Amino acid sequence: MKRPWREKFAYGAIVVLLALLCVSVLYPFLYMLAISLNEGSDAAKGGVYIWPRSFTLINYEVVLGNEVIRHAYLITIGRTILGTVGGLFVTLLVAFGLSYRKLPLRRAILAYILITMLFNGGLVPFYIQLNNLHLLNTFWVFIIPGLFSAWNMFVMIKFIQGIPEALFESSELDGAGPVRTLLTIVVPLSKPMLAALGLFTAVGHWNDWFAGAFYVTDQSLIPVQTFLQQLLSAQDISAVLGSNSNQEALARSSMQNITLMSIKMAVVMVSAIPILCVYPFLQRYFVKGVLIGSVKG
Amino acid sequence: MYAKLYKYRWQYLMILPGAVLLFLFNYIPMAGVQVAFRDFQLGTSIWNSPWVGMDNFEFVHEPQFWTVVRNTLYISVLKFVFGFPAPIVLALLINEVKHSPFKRFVQSVSYLPHFFSWIVVAYMLQSFLTLDGGLVNDLIGKMGGEPVFFLGSAEWFRPIVVTSGLWKETGWNTILYLAAITTIDPQLYEAAKVEGAGRWAQIRHITLPGIVPTISIVLILSIPSLITAGLDQIYPLMNSANMDVSDVLDTYVLRSGLQQGYFGMSTAVGLLSSVISLLLVLGTNWMSRKLNGEGLW
Repeated sequence: MKRPWREKFAYGAIVVLLALLCVSVLYPFLYMLAISLNEGSDAAKGGVYIWPRSFTLINYEVVLGNEVIRHAYLITIGRTILGTVGGLFVTLLVAFGLSYRKLPLRRAILAYILITMLFNGGLVPFYIQLNNLHLLNTFWVFIIPGLFSAWNMFVMIKFIQGIPEALFESSELDGAGPVRTLLTIVVPLSKPMLAALGLFTAVGHWNDWFAGAFYVTDQSLIPVQTFLQQLLSAQDISAVLGSNSNQEALARSSMQNITLMSIKMAVVMVSAIPILCVYPFLQRYFVKGVLIGSVKG
Repeated sequence: MYAKLYKYRWQYLMILPGAVLLFLFNYIPMAGVQVAFRDFQLGTSIWNSPWVGMDNFEFVHEPQFWTVVRNTLYISVLKFVFGFPAPIVLALLINEVKHSPFKRFVQSVSYLPHFFSWIVVAYMLQSFLTLDGGLVNDLIGKMGGEPVFFLGSAEWFRPIVVTSGLWKETGWNTILYLAAITTIDPQLYEAAKVEGAGRWAQIRHITLPGIVPTISIVLILSIPSLITAGLDQIYPLMNSANMDVSDVLDTYVLRSGLQQGYFGMSTAVGLLSSVISLLLVLGTNWMSRKLNGEGLW
């Protein structure tokens, strides 16, 4: 309390600093949105900072009208749903089985799982195995290898073991087997935990570009993020406008002042907007998910 | 014994799918590390490939390999030097905020970039740094400077990697520290206030010591990443102009293995780097046991 003016000044500085931080996080999205809603050739002159100067929706029309992008979107949605639901299902089964403390061989099985968290064969042997299992160049390469998550399983076990023992006992007294106990006791009580882990899994699928870039070569299998990754280094606009009517499309694009950059910004916004939209509503689940796994342990 | 195993048959059945997945996608690739000592071609069996001793480790005589090692260390150490303290500082700053809606807002916004892929970040960088009307070159031009082709230059590569890394992960990495701060006994602060300690003294003598255990865990856990510079982040930013500084161990393995088909050699590189990271983990664990009296396990 000796120098309150000094602490007041410091407090003000902290608030300003944190406000600037928020601006620095949010501004790039606003900037990209403005560029994507602006005529490309006009944006290339510079000076579009916050608001589109020459408003147009043509970039989005081109992007959403593109067959390849729409298909990539379907792949992303498909793998996100299947990968998340399947992943939670497989992992929850294992976690539930291992939450029985008296299960014979429990420690051995836990060790078997823990070892995979500490060691791995590396990228190339994994790739060889994908090839041997004939998973390369199939949709399933996005789903099957990631179904079981050791990390999520440990979070789930911790959570399930936090459920009062009496609930399990009364369920068993009612004559319920493990399957019924899982469905009537564990699943309903684990909803917040499942939501949190499911969100992380879903975001992981939505954002993964690596599998699409290296485990498949068939262009009809690539997800949106891989499409974005390929477009990142594209030199001209024909990459987005499709190959069948290339010349015509190129001519049309120059008429409508489309540039590669304006199209790129529209594609990236189309991939980012779903996350931006759900994030404010779901962010508390994300935080919860991290904390279940680490701090309470 | 069999009766006991039979009693838990449902539990074993539930664990089985996860165990099989781990066997297929973790244990077989671990055994596949022997490719590092064999002459293997894709499509043939690993077990029938001829042993070649240490032939696949010839890369240690190539200067390019050492450039890659140097690049990896350079980038990962830089990222560590800036990326490790930043979340601690940010968590302390956020903790100073008394107005809780603002505090929650800052937290939510600062976590946001974590949920976007590095591909999206690469697009952001392109939009800001492009020569055609990008914000940064636009401002440089207005101040009378010469435009800089940031993404196509070797000397700007490392600053871009460090800055974008800070932008994306600093906020998210504050979560554990903020959670640790909430577990500090409020009475300690009350007592300090009575004794006339200002905010700064409270941070130094109560908050910081209170999060030291978290800091040391995060420190230990981040040691293995010292030899992986972050493929996800670097690959999208890599191009022929910055190759001399951007090529790291992960991208080297990826290129020589998956793209050029040198499976033995790239597995050998991967094996060497995992052995080093294992040694780093064991070393830090040993050190923390010496210093704190307890290790991670």
